[in-house]
Amino acid sequence: MRKVFAMLLCVLFVVGIAFSVITMEVGKLLASNSGIVAAGNPYASAAGAEILEKGGNAIDAAIAVSLALGVVEPYASGIGGEGYAVASFNGEKIAVDFRSSAPWLASVENAEALGLTTSNLRSGPLSICTPGVLAGIIELWLHGGSLPFAELIAPAIRLASEGFIVNNTFASTCGSSYDVLLENAPGFLKDGIFAWETGDIATNPELAETYRYLAENGPQAFYKGELADKIADLVESKEGFLRKTDLENYRALVKEPLHGTYRGYDLFVPSIPVGGPYLIETLNILEHFNLSAFNWDDPLVMNIINQALTFAMIDLLSYSGDPEYVYVPVETLITKDYAKTRFMNIDLNEALNSELYYTDYLGRPDLFEDTDSYIEALLAGAGVIELEPSAAGVGEDTTHFAVIDKDGNAVAWTQTLSSFFGSKVYLDGFFINNEMGNFTLDDTSRGLVPGKRPVTTICPTIIEKDGKVVYLVGTPGGYYIQSTITNVIVDLIDFGMTLDEAQMKPKIIGSPNYPEFRMETGYPENARLFLEEIMGHTVREFDFPYRSFGSLNLIQIQPDGLAIGIGAFRREGGASAPEY
Amino acid sequence: MIMRRTLLIIGLLILSITCFALQCEQVVFEQPVIVTSAGQSPGALQLTVVAKMAKIEHTFEKLLDADQFEAQTYKTLIIVVGASGKGLGAAGIEIDAEFQRVVLLAQKAKEHGTKIILGNLEGESRRGTSSDEILLALAPYADALFAKVDANQDNLFTKISEERSIPLKLFEKTVDLVVVLNEFFVK
Repeated sequence: MRKVFAMLLCVLFVVGIAFSVITMEVGKLLASNSGIVAAGNPYASAAGAEILEKGGNAIDAAIAVSLALGVVEPYASGIGGEGYAVASFNGEKIAVDFRSSAPWLASVENAEALGLTTSNLRSGPLSICTPGVLAGIIELWLHGGSLPFAELIAPAIRLASEGFIVNNTFASTCGSSYDVLLENAPGFLKDGIFAWETGDIATNPELAETYRYLAENGPQAFYKGELADKIADLVESKEGFLRKTDLENYRALVKEPLHGTYRGYDLFVPSIPVGGPYLIETLNILEHFNLSAFNWDDPLVMNIINQALTFAMIDLLSYSGDPEYVYVPVETLITKDYAKTRFMNIDLNEALNSELYYTDYLGRPDLFEDTDSYIEALLAGAGVIELEPSAAGVGEDTTHFAVIDKDGNAVAWTQTLSSFFGSKVYLDGFFINNEMGNFTLDDTSRGLVPGKRPVTTICPTIIEKDGKVVYLVGTPGGYYIQSTITNVIVDLIDFGMTLDEAQMKPKIIGSPNYPEFRMETGYPENARLFLEEIMGHTVREFDFPYRSFGSLNLIQIQPDGLAIGIGAFRREGGASAPEY
Repeated sequence: MIMRRTLLIIGLLILSITCFALQCEQVVFEQPVIVTSAGQSPGALQLTVVAKMAKIEHTFEKLLDADQFEAQTYKTLIIVVGASGKGLGAAGIEIDAEFQRVVLLAQKAKEHGTKIILGNLEGESRRGTSSDEILLALAPYADALFAKVDANQDNLFTKISEERSIPLKLFEKTVDLVVVLNEFFVK
């Protein structure tokens, strides 16, 4: 009895710490006039709301959320990882590329000399790229941070040292990787031997200590100080490529986000080597269809969206890469006229022939070299070319969050380790990424080159209407990301769904990577039958809610300024708001 | 007359429940133990950690098959059920082959008088279609069951236990399985 009472007190204490002044909803809508945060774990969104409450702005809060996610979702992201953020701050848009980069020893030649294949780069020390999260935090903070870094990292330190209640997502993710964790990261396990279980109060004293070190020495200490030595020594001792010089030389890149439009809305997304251009391309294709004349679950609409996504993803797999190293015709890919050439390929009657993906269905941005007109481009460029699809994969196990403050500043931020638990290399409370697995060992646009940033699909998105932020959208999911985000944007803009309706609606996928039409259950049986029997799709259903179909953390800002947020219900995420 | 009949029914009911309970309690397992997975989730590995804490002499072979199984060496076979696509992929085995492996193993153990404990250690997350198919296929061979409480929300384990008159031990947290194993393996 005494034990139960003590446990109850402990639980109340932990809950009290996290949510003493914060309004928080797990997987439900939350509205606020004073800013809002939506993240894949409610403790992380509460950390952001706490910073907003202390007078911090959206960038301050986003930094706090990023660091807190490293505690409460350590498998999906953390300071050993990387990502991309798009921000609207005082009306100015910036995109911060803190994608990891290949270490300088990581060349195709060195890999071949060591007898490595791409599969050797997917896990373990050899899979580690130079982490970028803290460099991204530095750039964002320099751009608009207002509170000291030590204050922004404080909620994460508290979570790591005092603990948080483990949810089902945390428990099942740890449980399913128990064998790997026991071998590589016993320090992360409960009592060093057990997987964390639902309801446990998890702490991470090692990470708390690492965060305290960063609070005292600043985030740059990750790249230059004792911690950098420890990271480099560990990776070198395990025969990975990363060295201290890689950490010292790493910089996050501040860029202009890519701009696109969809039915009168403005979209701001990250450019290559991530997914922004292909989201814009998908929406440009869909803009040619009057989708709102149909119901969202109409098989004709499902087929159109599936094919538009497939064409854009064919382009992602054919035309993408680090712009510092390869030329990619991004400016063409995002034009309305280029989308018309893809629109022409949509088959309203039947499923695409997958054998034609990289011949007849291959996009031809090269035809637009001397013209902006699809008519002139196609008249000048008869014939079909053929490309080999890239064999590179992308990690699926990421996290996304969004923040808006009371002044309308907004941040959409996606961060990742690539796979869950990244390389599985664990140091001082955090895991280090396995982004090397996203390279190929060849000289293609996705081929490994020292310093290069790998192609992935992440796509934090800010949507404006008449110059004001109206939606913040993003999700993890690897090759599902463009599909999930497109589903949501179409549901919100074309079908007029509310944020929770769009969140809860089952999703469909379109990608050349999958031979079948992937969809969650929840669509009418007749829609599935129509897709199969009339249109010739091979439908593969996944039980709703299926986690890979997106862990969307969404924010909407109404015309009156009221912000509405919702956390990812597929991952027990939550929205939080300050209570002034 | 009605009263007497009612009393008789109640008496018989109490007697049968007592017999059932005694029967359940009477199952005692002996060491050494061999542990295997049915579905290649990490649950079997977790069980070995618990077995070590319970000081139970055991061997772990996650892909133990009937041919490898030395029936004269081991007194008890523990099969931890949990189908994992990732685990099956890493082990290089298809679900159908895995299914066949564990059923043939259980058959051989039964033929040689080796007692079998069948269990779920990872809770609800290992109650998918494949896990349940394996569980139900192995249930006829089991001499005892254990399951994490949230794996038994639909009382599937309770039903198997009642239908087969074999004991079922439920536990909340993985560490509580130490107590369960100590009850199974009276030293």
